[in-house]
Amino acid sequence: MELFFMSLTTGLMVGGIYALVALGWVLIYKCSGVLNLAMGELTLIGAYVTYTFHAIGVPFVPAVLLTLIVGIILGFLTERIFLDKLIGEPILAVIMVTVGLSFFLKGLIGYIWGSDTRVFTPPIFDIKPITVGILKISPVYLWSFILSIVLLIVFVAFFKYTRWGLSMQATADDETAALSLGVSARFVYAAAWAIAFMSAGVGGALLGNINGINISVGHLGLLVLPAVVLGGLNSVPGAIVGGIMIGLLQNFSGTYLDAYFPGGVKEIMPFAFMAVFLLFKPYGLWGWERIERV
Amino acid sequence: MSSVWLPCGDYHWNYAQDQGWWQTNFLKGKMILLLAIVFIGIPLVADEYWISVGTMIGYTAMGALGVQLLIGYSGLLTLGHAAFIAVGAYTSVMLILQFPWPQFLIDWGLAYPISIIAAGIVAGLWSVLFGLPSAKVKGFYLILTTMAAQFITVDFILTQYVSQIGGRGQAFSLPPGTIKIGPWVIENDIQIYFVMAVILTLMVIVLANLLRSKPGRAWIAIRDNDIAAEALGINIVWYKLLAFFVAGFMAGVAGAFWVCNTAALSPEHFQWFLSLWLVGVILIGGVGSIQGAIFGSIFMVVVMELLQMGAIPLAEYYPKILFDFAYIKDMAFGLAICAFLIYEPNGLAYRWWQAKNYFNLWPFSY
Repeated sequence: MELFFMSLTTGLMVGGIYALVALGWVLIYKCSGVLNLAMGELTLIGAYVTYTFHAIGVPFVPAVLLTLIVGIILGFLTERIFLDKLIGEPILAVIMVTVGLSFFLKGLIGYIWGSDTRVFTPPIFDIKPITVGILKISPVYLWSFILSIVLLIVFVAFFKYTRWGLSMQATADDETAALSLGVSARFVYAAAWAIAFMSAGVGGALLGNINGINISVGHLGLLVLPAVVLGGLNSVPGAIVGGIMIGLLQNFSGTYLDAYFPGGVKEIMPFAFMAVFLLFKPYGLWGWERIERV
Repeated sequence: MSSVWLPCGDYHWNYAQDQGWWQTNFLKGKMILLLAIVFIGIPLVADEYWISVGTMIGYTAMGALGVQLLIGYSGLLTLGHAAFIAVGAYTSVMLILQFPWPQFLIDWGLAYPISIIAAGIVAGLWSVLFGLPSAKVKGFYLILTTMAAQFITVDFILTQYVSQIGGRGQAFSLPPGTIKIGPWVIENDIQIYFVMAVILTLMVIVLANLLRSKPGRAWIAIRDNDIAAEALGINIVWYKLLAFFVAGFMAGVAGAFWVCNTAALSPEHFQWFLSLWLVGVILIGGVGSIQGAIFGSIFMVVVMELLQMGAIPLAEYYPKILFDFAYIKDMAFGLAICAFLIYEPNGLAYRWWQAKNYFNLWPFSY
């Protein structure tokens, strides 16, 4: 039973980070219709940038804030250089541009930072686990969870209540109408990418604290895809629920299925589950169903 | 681009001529010349290094043809093709090494050819298994299921289980002289090149013939509008699965070919990178054309080789370049995909077609 609760809490907390990254993905899709396969590399960039700031002596929290600023700049640049020219192109072209982007970023990251695992030294979070009742939670997970929940609330509030957030929602709903009301669609797209870079960046910084930073953080970033499929591609609450569910699924399968299928069942399970899930509910839990006509 | 430019005063009298392979003598001569270059010219002229580059081009083209069939002709977006290549390669090696072959088959050198076909069939069926969701989903969702195929097959089943057959750490390595086609033992680069050229030629012929017959037209109809295709009486689930089978078969054959080009098989050869690379190849070459897959393969492989050649003199001053060349390759590939999609979305095949049209009317274009 203790094992069960351990998996539950760890899953929940890692899921919080996934939810944060998934939110960034959904915002891009909602606003500009771009299906982004470069999310893993965005996560990786966030992790390395935070690490670099931390390595030159900036404390962790300001380093994360600086990462957010770098994220905004990179997001704007990415949108302007790569995605801006592809609005309205066929889906394959847009997806493959993000794939090209992911290769470019992966190469760039590898060239700058190399392939060794980098660890935050000294560790930012205490290694000694906190004991709550029968549960032992390591502080990394707890703080990551708290930080990602706070950021989730900030992003959702931004999306719901600020002027920019509302104009993003309007563009997502109907681009032409939003344009006629004086919303700058190009600015909105750029803002969506900036938010995606920011959320992925923080997600990466937190994931990098758990196991160190190397290319596998990028694979964790790729897990947003099952998360958003689970929640529905264009649903913000769906992304959050989906992210947490993927975190739970991963940890429970790691705990219970590893005995039967030794090896990396933990890494594969989200994708396997997604493939089966798509057969039954292709539009996710809260995604919009698209009705097709000839 | 089926519309062939005919010389003035030359007409087709029936549909068979219209669908013919070589509609004019000029085209026929051109194709014979091309085959002569591939089979005689290149082996005579090129040194060992460029022969192996040619083999790489052929291997890429074999994979890219399957992706072209799925993405370019049937509209089934796939990002997991390397999984099926891997299944083919592993099937072939396991058959050669583990299957109790009767001695006469080995003596006649039939073990490897049979294993190529078996690899194709197994990979085709595996591909159909992961193509099943295509009955229900398409577009981005299909990309996700094929990605799942990639991760489940290569990162899980092959890495964790199949690679351990015969003990942990046992590489799937073939002793020299095992691969024999008929009387020839395939061991040096030039023999591998000829195997590649034969397989690739056969593949192109088969694919081109499929595409101008009923299945091909059904695939194109599904690509252009699947609901309309269904209304026209095309069994779209059947044809989609057929597309997956044929593409998987080709991938399996490509994988089985890779076996003779490599000393030891490892899941490292079939990572997700290869799937993305193949899709990038057809995007650069041109979606929806067989030539596109070949042009794309030539372009990508040769550009990467040239990059490496260019990096060698630079490395004298800045050694990190050569040391981290894999990353530069990634960056170049990513930028190439982005640049082609943004500035040349029709790919190299379209440029080729334009150039041909220009010279058809040259020098008196009207």
